[in-house]
Amino acid sequence: MSLEEQKQVPENWEPTILAFCCNWCTYAGADLAGLNRMKYPENVRILRVPCSSRVNPQFILRAFQKGVDGVLVAGCHPGDCHYVSGNYFTRRRFLLMQRFLEYNGIDPRRFQARWISGAEAGKFRDTMLQLCEEIKELGPNRKLREVK
Amino acid sequence: MSQMQEELRQKAKELLEKGEVRYIIGWGKGRFHHRPPIFIYQAEDVDKLVWDEYCVANLGKYLLDDKFPEGKIGICVRGCDSRAVVRLVQDKQVKREDVCLIGLPCTGKVDQEGRELVKCRDCMHRNPPVYDIVLGEPVEEKGNPDRFKRVEELEKLSSDEKYEYWSNVFDKCIRCYACRNVCPACNCRECFVDQYRVGWQGKQKNCMQNQIFGLTRAYHIADRCIECGECERVCPVGLPLMELNRKLIKDLNSLFGPYEAGVNPDVKPPLGEYRLEDPEEYM
Amino acid sequence: MRRIGVFVCHCGSNIAATVDVEKVVEAAKTFPGVVYAADNKYTCSEPGQEAIKKAIAEHNLNRVVICSCSPRMHEATFRKTIADAGLNPYLLEIANIREQVSWVHTDKEKATEKAIDLARIAAAKAAKDEELFTSTIPIEKRALVIGGGIAGMQAALDIADAGLQVTLVEKESSIGGKMVMLDKTFPTLDCSACISTPKMVTLSQHPNIELMTYSEVTHVGGYIGNFEVTIKQKAKFVNHDICTGCGLCETKCPAKVTSEFDQGLGKRPAIHKLFAQAVPNKPVIDKNSCLKLTTGKCGICSKICPVGCIDYEDKDKEVTKKFGAIVLATGYELIDWTKLYGEYGGGRYDNIITGLQFERMVNASGPTDGKIVRPSDGKTPKSVLFIKCVGSRDVNKGKSYCSRACCMYTAKHAHQVLEKIPGAKAYVSYMDVRTPGKGYDEFYMRTLEDGAVYVRGRISKIYPEGEKLISLGEDTLSNSNVTLETDLVVLETAMVPNPSAEKTAAMIGVGRDKDGWLQEAHPKLRPVETNTGGVFLAGTCQGPKDIPDTVAQASAAAAKVIGLLYKDELETNPMISKVDPQKCAGCGFCIEVCPYGAIELVDFPDRYQGKKIMRKVAQVNGGLCQGCGACTVSCKPGAIDLLGFTNLQILEEVDALCR
Repeated sequence: MSLEEQKQVPENWEPTILAFCCNWCTYAGADLAGLNRMKYPENVRILRVPCSSRVNPQFILRAFQKGVDGVLVAGCHPGDCHYVSGNYFTRRRFLLMQRFLEYNGIDPRRFQARWISGAEAGKFRDTMLQLCEEIKELGPNRKLREVK
Repeated sequence: MSQMQEELRQKAKELLEKGEVRYIIGWGKGRFHHRPPIFIYQAEDVDKLVWDEYCVANLGKYLLDDKFPEGKIGICVRGCDSRAVVRLVQDKQVKREDVCLIGLPCTGKVDQEGRELVKCRDCMHRNPPVYDIVLGEPVEEKGNPDRFKRVEELEKLSSDEKYEYWSNVFDKCIRCYACRNVCPACNCRECFVDQYRVGWQGKQKNCMQNQIFGLTRAYHIADRCIECGECERVCPVGLPLMELNRKLIKDLNSLFGPYEAGVNPDVKPPLGEYRLEDPEEYM
Repeated sequence: MRRIGVFVCHCGSNIAATVDVEKVVEAAKTFPGVVYAADNKYTCSEPGQEAIKKAIAEHNLNRVVICSCSPRMHEATFRKTIADAGLNPYLLEIANIREQVSWVHTDKEKATEKAIDLARIAAAKAAKDEELFTSTIPIEKRALVIGGGIAGMQAALDIADAGLQVTLVEKESSIGGKMVMLDKTFPTLDCSACISTPKMVTLSQHPNIELMTYSEVTHVGGYIGNFEVTIKQKAKFVNHDICTGCGLCETKCPAKVTSEFDQGLGKRPAIHKLFAQAVPNKPVIDKNSCLKLTTGKCGICSKICPVGCIDYEDKDKEVTKKFGAIVLATGYELIDWTKLYGEYGGGRYDNIITGLQFERMVNASGPTDGKIVRPSDGKTPKSVLFIKCVGSRDVNKGKSYCSRACCMYTAKHAHQVLEKIPGAKAYVSYMDVRTPGKGYDEFYMRTLEDGAVYVRGRISKIYPEGEKLISLGEDTLSNSNVTLETDLVVLETAMVPNPSAEKTAAMIGVGRDKDGWLQEAHPKLRPVETNTGGVFLAGTCQGPKDIPDTVAQASAAAAKVIGLLYKDELETNPMISKVDPQKCAGCGFCIEVCPYGAIELVDFPDRYQGKKIMRKVAQVNGGLCQGCGACTVSCKPGAIDLLGFTNLQILEEVDALCR
């Protein structure tokens, strides 16, 4: 399939978005968003990890390979890591990975990282809304994706 | 060149005769212009050692074939070999006290037609940064301001153009893993590509799987690549692998400060540490 | 063979109103490995839990997936449920279809589809769940308290009174800390020494307390329940086993140096007790000022000592002891204002002193026998200006924070001037007056009634004119410039962390905040714990505090220590990192990223090219690892993996998500 053909967006297409969320902050923020009945699109699937530093960049590659259209890694704000320093390593790893993916032709909007605390339910919802909006605009990801 | 070769043989003889090293890793005569690695155990064999413009292969990785040596190993090191050894020492795969580094300042190597090799054109350290003995006179460093030129060119392409470029590159990959096997930064006991039970990497040979391999390989050695260019040199289908490695090196430098792997044994790889004031883009 | 059971909860209508629960059940039956799926009105209720237990028995389930509320809510509940049914509690996965689906989505069809996806992901992860086991580590029933100020003393006494052994390490030659330097304490004006010295004596005589003064902690290894601490006992040059504390040597010692305890206002001999009521009440020789030790000539103390306890050959000694818990009570220092406030003369004018110097001066056992005098000429000042917030609440000069105790002790200082010097004037330059405490505002009001003049505004410059000090400033209430002419100026300076805390904290692995105060585990809910298990904070090492708050926090830290040490063994978290020694090449990258120092390289016997060899591999200490997983990413071949969140499991989850 040429890139031109790939540009075609199937009818009723909905993006699949994967969010790796730190158990201590963003996952709790998502719970709080639920508790407050905040609405956001159904496209997001959350995977719980103990810390954003548990997220191996290879998981991101795998997600794109298997057909995810956008990936978010979310952890505690710098200085607030439940495990003291995990998010500082996350920051280094993904600053590099994001640029590397971009260099390989993956739009940086498809792979983002955010700091969202357990109290920031609103920020969690807004991030989901923004992410879905951006990914919808970009259309389905076919780069790195396994042909089915 | 031949004077250096003579000096090298003399030094090798001396080291072997005094019993300071058990054997010496250097370059020897091959069937063609190529100089394969050679392992000299006896003082009378030192004349088999060759030092000329065809001594291309990085010798560092051969130390991994004898990780628990009975006695010291002498090894000929140019800048790139020296950095390879430093990296292996930092990765605790080789003990510094197990090796005697015979430094050989290098002015670059050539291919069959006498053209300077690409890997030598972009060289940053023609003099070995770490050595025990050094032969000859230090040579002038080139500094090499154009090292990232190709990376910068590729960065200017659009997302789709970039993807198309790399798809074409990886379409050709035959997944022979020669790049991994030759790389002095790849020293895992079991590479992720071979872990079928965990399944980091599919077995199929198609463009997507090749790309996953290529990206992961480059990311794994991001802060350990010594820019010896061996991956690119040994690639049987001629993939521009250094264009991936250099992108990571360029970003590591611009994001977290100047860093060159394997130059200073006391400087740790940047992905193993952090600074509070690292760039913040994820607010 | 995996036999997975899936239980989908209605949560009344909380889930069922938005998610078609039956549809989720039907879909779940088709997932790989799933042999049973059912729904329940309230899974967490007694009947709901019974249904799970029954299904486990009837269908021989060996993995359980529950689709319900957040795992943060009921993971512990359901782990216990399946454990009751005979399964390992870690063979459970929860799909969060309430907080992440029914409560945040409205379209029933899409919500149901998402719930099915989440169930599939959980089932895929469950299929790769392995049994995990908690292990136990023994606890050394002895606590270490670092710092012998009021916080350290209180913590040590509370722990010892509970029947546990305590070692108290103090770097000075006597315990007491800053509190014994003070004269009277607000708001009740009881004498500081009168309430703290009895505590010091009780402590020194307590059968459960080992007191190590003139000592410093030089190394901390180990982990919660099992710390190994090296303590350096500095050479005292006086044999305390023989010394009677008669004090004759102090009177004859010819080497006189500035007294640190008196804040530079008095002199002390080289052989000295820190202060008259020091505990232990025996002197030490300061080796930097002793003539015998610096020049070799003197030896008077040795000659006159009636019991012959002077030993010039004394050396630093190191001892290593085991502790189960550590209390950090390293305290504070005052900010060095002389480097920051050039406009106040930067220390050039004798008659500008700090609040702590004022305390020493007004203290009956201090260098002036309790008289408030001008350091320049010894005359009694007729007017005194107190300047608050010197270095506090001033990001440009010093620290952004409020030092908390200054408002109250300034009120006390002003009161003391007015009380001790008849007819004197007391001025206070302030930004705000903060008096939140029992009896605090009343005390401040009393000082105002005594006649203290409070001027709201900062002093911008002080210069001498004749015998007086002229202070220029602004009264922001009347919007006018003020010029105050006083005999003495007292700067109420900011509290800063004790400089020794930095090294100690680094040794133990306790974090510090932007200002260097030791970091508590949670600012509200875990104020005395740190992120290092078994290490607790007491007093001002955590942030500025007054005495009542310090004592309260010290007792809280003691309660935490008692709670810990009263257990015989500790259960460890089973969801921690684990090394596969076959894959591990021993590069040690994981060690660099571990915030807990939980990983070390150990010998591993192996064969290499036909030879028997010892190679190094990483090993995780189950007592220290907290299960963050940062190490797993640093390991390229995945030789170190996080149990409960393994690489394989996360890859399976990602795959399941995309079907």
